[in-house]
Amino acid sequence: MSTFKPGLVHTPVTPFTADQKIDFKTFEKVIDFHLKHGAEALAVQMHAGESVSLTDAEQRNTLEFVIKQVNGRVPVIAHVSDSGTGIAVDRARNAERAGAAAVIATSTYYWTPPSPMVFEHISQIGASVGIPFYLLYTPDEMGGTHHINTDMVMKLIDKLPNFSGVVDVSHDWQFMINIVSNAWRKNPAFQLLAGSEYMVSAGAVGASSVFTSLSAVAPRLVKSLHDICRTERYFDARAMQEDLTALYQIVKRAGDGGLKGAMRARGRDCGQPRAPLDPLQAEGYATLVAEMEKLPFMAKEPQGWS
Amino acid sequence: MPISLRGVMQSPVTPLKDDFSLDVPTYEKLVDFHVRTGATAISWPHHKGESLNLTMQERKMGAEATVKAVGGRVPVSIHVSSLAVEDAMELAQHAQKIGADAIIAITPYFWAPSPEAIYDYFVRLGTSIDLPMIAYNSPAYLEGVEINGPLIERLLRRLPNLIAMKEASFNSEKFMEISRAALKVRPDFSIVAGVEFLAPSVPLGCVGSYSSAGAICPNLCTRLFDACINGRSAEARELQFKLARLWDLFRDQYPSSLKGGMVVMGRPVGPTRPPLPTATKERQAYIAKQLEELGIMDTEPHGW
Repeated sequence: MSTFKPGLVHTPVTPFTADQKIDFKTFEKVIDFHLKHGAEALAVQMHAGESVSLTDAEQRNTLEFVIKQVNGRVPVIAHVSDSGTGIAVDRARNAERAGAAAVIATSTYYWTPPSPMVFEHISQIGASVGIPFYLLYTPDEMGGTHHINTDMVMKLIDKLPNFSGVVDVSHDWQFMINIVSNAWRKNPAFQLLAGSEYMVSAGAVGASSVFTSLSAVAPRLVKSLHDICRTERYFDARAMQEDLTALYQIVKRAGDGGLKGAMRARGRDCGQPRAPLDPLQAEGYATLVAEMEKLPFMAKEPQGWS
Repeated sequence: MPISLRGVMQSPVTPLKDDFSLDVPTYEKLVDFHVRTGATAISWPHHKGESLNLTMQERKMGAEATVKAVGGRVPVSIHVSSLAVEDAMELAQHAQKIGADAIIAITPYFWAPSPEAIYDYFVRLGTSIDLPMIAYNSPAYLEGVEINGPLIERLLRRLPNLIAMKEASFNSEKFMEISRAALKVRPDFSIVAGVEFLAPSVPLGCVGSYSSAGAICPNLCTRLFDACINGRSAEARELQFKLARLWDLFRDQYPSSLKGGMVVMGRPVGPTRPPLPTATKERQAYIAKQLEELGIMDTEPHGW
């Protein structure tokens, strides 16, 4: 198993122009912003990057663009999930060829295959590459199509030498504890990674890295919280976790366009989400801005692209 | 007794005789066992105590036995949740009459009540008594019916006697939504984890937990809380993993497996009332093997 530990992983948005084309000029600024503000790795075309709204060609192009732009400064993790096993496998192989440091995938979109087929889907993606493979667990987003449980993770560990960890977006303590406590008995190097900014609880039960989209809005607070959790000072981390939770809730309440709206409020306009996600309308944007302005810590966060 | 919630609180199982009738003498021994082995409060009858399989008369008798057996050593709360709201109201009145220190109640069963209906329910229950009330939130078991941030905020503004929540979402996002909303209104409001998921919750302000495994391994429960509250993260994680394995063992056919485990630990409490199964000899043997593997037999009290 690889010793790659991604640490603080920023998950950039994909900027769009007004006509919903990928805005590569702004994308350059997005990447540079994340690298300047503490990213130890980037995970691209995650759901925060609207992966599911990008064509296969766009996903390949943007990955290659990001890898070129990063130019080796941090590892780049490629999200390769798709409905079809073959499509996801091809995307994973392409990511490895393009120079990704690792790939990440969740179970199938839309289909609800029986559990053995979900296992087959995931294991084929993982087996298609030699670089580390991470499993994304995000049940709220995936609805009933998930079928990922401890037994499946244990079988994947047995089957895939490059299976490096589970990225958890469920925030579910039982799931996280079950996964990590069982996985560590098989392989102490197996990783649990927090899939969102709820780092305190995840860290307390063994998470060693975090995937964060709010790093595009409040990178200093995200980094501070990650640094303090890394030293396992969880009581000291509580106030920061409260602050970041407040921001998380505000952005979530704003809906599909919340993250990009929050970035716009900080002077980093990346356009609106691509259809079919709802754009953030003027009224929603005004509410979002007003709520963010009430957060004292935001005064210390960067404004604009610098 | 003024009620302050902290540490690992025990909610005893309900001992039954072979004919499934209540075994009150064994229950009194069990309550005494919990208090002697570190319970910071006693609360009965939770679902683990087969609350919904007991008649109203049995619930009242058990509540009286609880108050008597505890004898003022730790606070006692009575779980009053019932299928019919009217029964919950009656049990709350009874709890007050017999000298319990608080009541605890979950969101209504079976129906999918609106947030407004849940609000009305807790207001009606809370204003019917002069006791502190603990709200119980368990969306996973009640098909998503839950107390969310806005609802707890409203309830706290309305009910001065709503002092705590038993929070059984076991989820960081939900826990923080509730705690942020509640502590804004009432900084001394207590959030208690539904079972011993203490490592992920204590750093977020959780004051303790109710217990799934305290009848098996009270020492482990106390050690876990102690490690968590003192910030000994690595130790807390190791103990949490062990308790999580026990939770997996016991939540399968809960509380039947727990009662089976109590036989193994020399504290038999009889069968489980139908429709829940009773742990078979084979199940008990499996549980014994698991407890052996986890080192429970060597570190925890055997017998009463």
